[in-house]
Amino acid sequence: MKKITKEKLALFWELLARRATLYLPLQEDGVVNFAPWKNGARVNLRENSLVPPKNVFFPQAETYLRFQTGAKKLQLESLEPEEEFILFGVRPCDVASFTILDKVFLEEPVDGLYAKRRRLGTLVSLGCNEPGETCFCTSFELEPAFAPGADVMVWDMGEFLLWEAQSEKGDELTAKINELLDEAAPEESASALSLRNTTAAGEAAAGCQQEWNTAGLQEVLRGKFNVELWEKLYHRCLGCGICTYLCPTCHCFDIQDFSRGLEGERFRCWDSCMFAEFTLMASGENPRPTQKERVRQRFLHKLLYFPSKYGLYACVGCGRCVRKCPVHLDITQVMEPIK
Amino acid sequence: MKQLSERIKEAAFGSLSSGQVEMVIGWQKGPLWWQSFPAFITDPGETASLIWDPFSVSNLNKYLLNEVPKKKIALFLKGCDALGFNQLLRDGRVEREKVLLFGIPCDGLVDPARVEATGLSKGLLQVKKEREELVFYYKEGQRKAPARDFYYSKCLSCRYPNPVTCDEMLGEAVPCQPLERFANVSKLEAASLEERFTYWSRHFSRCIRCFACRNVCPACSCRECIFDIAEPRWLGKAKESGETLFYHITRAYHVAGRCVDCGECARICPLGIPLAELNRKFIKDINELYGEYDAGADLDKEAPLLTFKSDDPDVSA
Amino acid sequence: MSVNLKQGPFEPLIIAFCCNWCSYAGGDLAGTGRMTYPANVRVIRVPCSSCVSSNFILRAFQRGADGVVVAGCHPGDCHYTSGNYFARRRFLLLQRFLEFLGMEPERFQVHWISASEGNRFAAVMTETTEKIRALGPNRKLRDTR
Repeated sequence: MKKITKEKLALFWELLARRATLYLPLQEDGVVNFAPWKNGARVNLRENSLVPPKNVFFPQAETYLRFQTGAKKLQLESLEPEEEFILFGVRPCDVASFTILDKVFLEEPVDGLYAKRRRLGTLVSLGCNEPGETCFCTSFELEPAFAPGADVMVWDMGEFLLWEAQSEKGDELTAKINELLDEAAPEESASALSLRNTTAAGEAAAGCQQEWNTAGLQEVLRGKFNVELWEKLYHRCLGCGICTYLCPTCHCFDIQDFSRGLEGERFRCWDSCMFAEFTLMASGENPRPTQKERVRQRFLHKLLYFPSKYGLYACVGCGRCVRKCPVHLDITQVMEPIK
Repeated sequence: MKQLSERIKEAAFGSLSSGQVEMVIGWQKGPLWWQSFPAFITDPGETASLIWDPFSVSNLNKYLLNEVPKKKIALFLKGCDALGFNQLLRDGRVEREKVLLFGIPCDGLVDPARVEATGLSKGLLQVKKEREELVFYYKEGQRKAPARDFYYSKCLSCRYPNPVTCDEMLGEAVPCQPLERFANVSKLEAASLEERFTYWSRHFSRCIRCFACRNVCPACSCRECIFDIAEPRWLGKAKESGETLFYHITRAYHVAGRCVDCGECARICPLGIPLAELNRKFIKDINELYGEYDAGADLDKEAPLLTFKSDDPDVSA
Repeated sequence: MSVNLKQGPFEPLIIAFCCNWCSYAGGDLAGTGRMTYPANVRVIRVPCSSCVSSNFILRAFQRGADGVVVAGCHPGDCHYTSGNYFARRRFLLLQRFLEFLGMEPERFQVHWISASEGNRFAAVMTETTEKIRALGPNRKLRDTR
């Protein structure tokens, strides 16, 4: 295991940013989000980002086709991401969200844009030192301070960061920045393990977020399409897109054209099942006519349809929707009556 | 506050069990200290679950657009909510005789972010208000602090803590000591053009177009919103600064002269965009150019953009 | 609308929404009177200045306009009696709002031009074009695609 002292971090960012675009949790106007690091940016390694890092692999909007029409000919130009990048500071829950997005985008038919970005990106995960009030990643058998899916795992030990490569990409990155890394002493390496253990226990014992027992939830929800719960739940939903846009696993998108004159481009952009327009058909028919159907869709997609198809829940317990839903349609709570 | 929550339960129980209303909209509590949310109750037996606490911030009157009662709906209104209700009424979106309004005097509600900023949130179980103080409850005991230090900024500049309209007032009127609400607008006006552009570009660049600001707004009550229409698609879905600006200009412009300055848009924005300043710019300009007008409160005055005077200030450059 | 894509010195693109009854006729008069005004101005005829939605104005900026002019009958002379009085309030607020967001106020202008003021039409359009030329291309609100 390697380590880097915190005084060297500024230098470290600069060095990493020289290798590739460096995405870091940056704080601006009190809000932390992943963004390309620039000199003078305020890095915040204490809080998780508000918008999940999924937008680095699956941007809110991305153009993938340019077109030009003439009198007879249609010219097309495909665009795809080219830029290598390092995504540093992703929390283990969000790393787990990429496993979920991989299921959607990397199984046949493979989504070329997403696949390319996954290849271009090196994922550095930062373990959590203490669980937040709305965290419940342990409900999905995730560890707050360990992300097996990351290329490099980093732990914040106060004075220094511990650094451990976990994949080939991780080894490559380590080799490139070796000059700033020191060898960690055995007892320092051991402290990472004890951090893993205490946080895993800590979340269960935190007492803030009631631990959500998801065992058998999928089975319980089967056949619950028409239960009265949905009737009760939806009233308070405002129909905004906060929960879906802040969710690291939500992946629904829309495809739109933008054109001016004879040329234009095609892009895909996030869409949300909370919006009435989401299922509105050209005929004017809407199979999910009220917020009731939309709320039901969101919960059942995460907790029943997705696991039925892919074998895992489409939720990683990051707690963003719990924290930010203006009317507290708290996923850990609303399903309780159904059980 | 305890008293008020008892009176809310009583009012809800009374109006439901007497058959006067078929639904009561109030607030319930979730397991976390800051989770107070709108509740829709039709069974008098469930009215005991209604609460009033320092986090009952959700504005309930916009739900009237979705609920179609055969009889009446009973609703609890804070000062800011009452202004929004009046605006919905004025816009012809609710029927007064279909609603029973219980007024709640409210001198301010607590912003969970301010509690977190002080570190008081760690292990916090419950927050209660006792007169001018907040009491924070933990496993190990309790701590007290002045309540006003934790209020939403929108509450600190509130000018109508007591509902301007209701059928029955629950509780005594509270005093009002609003901060100057146009302070930030004036500060921005004094800045240079480029500073202002940078300021707003920075804030708008975070916008994720979740439409929460629109959905929560009591002045945004169109049956079909311009932002949702696919053909013509006025608002594109690309992450373009121009599109985002179009959205925010249009949102604020559409509620100009009808915005009651309840501050819900800014409170609800997950990305912390100071949206209320946009609305307040319009309010400030309207006040300066066409005379003081308080949407939701000045019911006897004509809405400023639905009228004119022949000697209005000219726009010609 | 690709004036600005051409090489060479900056030529501003100005969209003028002109009311059918006064300003558009004023523009016609400028034409029949053989008065000149810059070709940078593209006129869009509308029934009344009050029917110009903020959407039209913002969209013009998004799609590349460097300036937008709304022109209508003089207050008091509206063909529909009072349309321009409403427009006057709306556009003054919009103008101040755009300025609040950091747009140069000169980029969005409102003028009252009657059907008999062909010379005024030409003068306003010339003056506006020069003002905007001096400001340079508009980048704020503009689509980058």
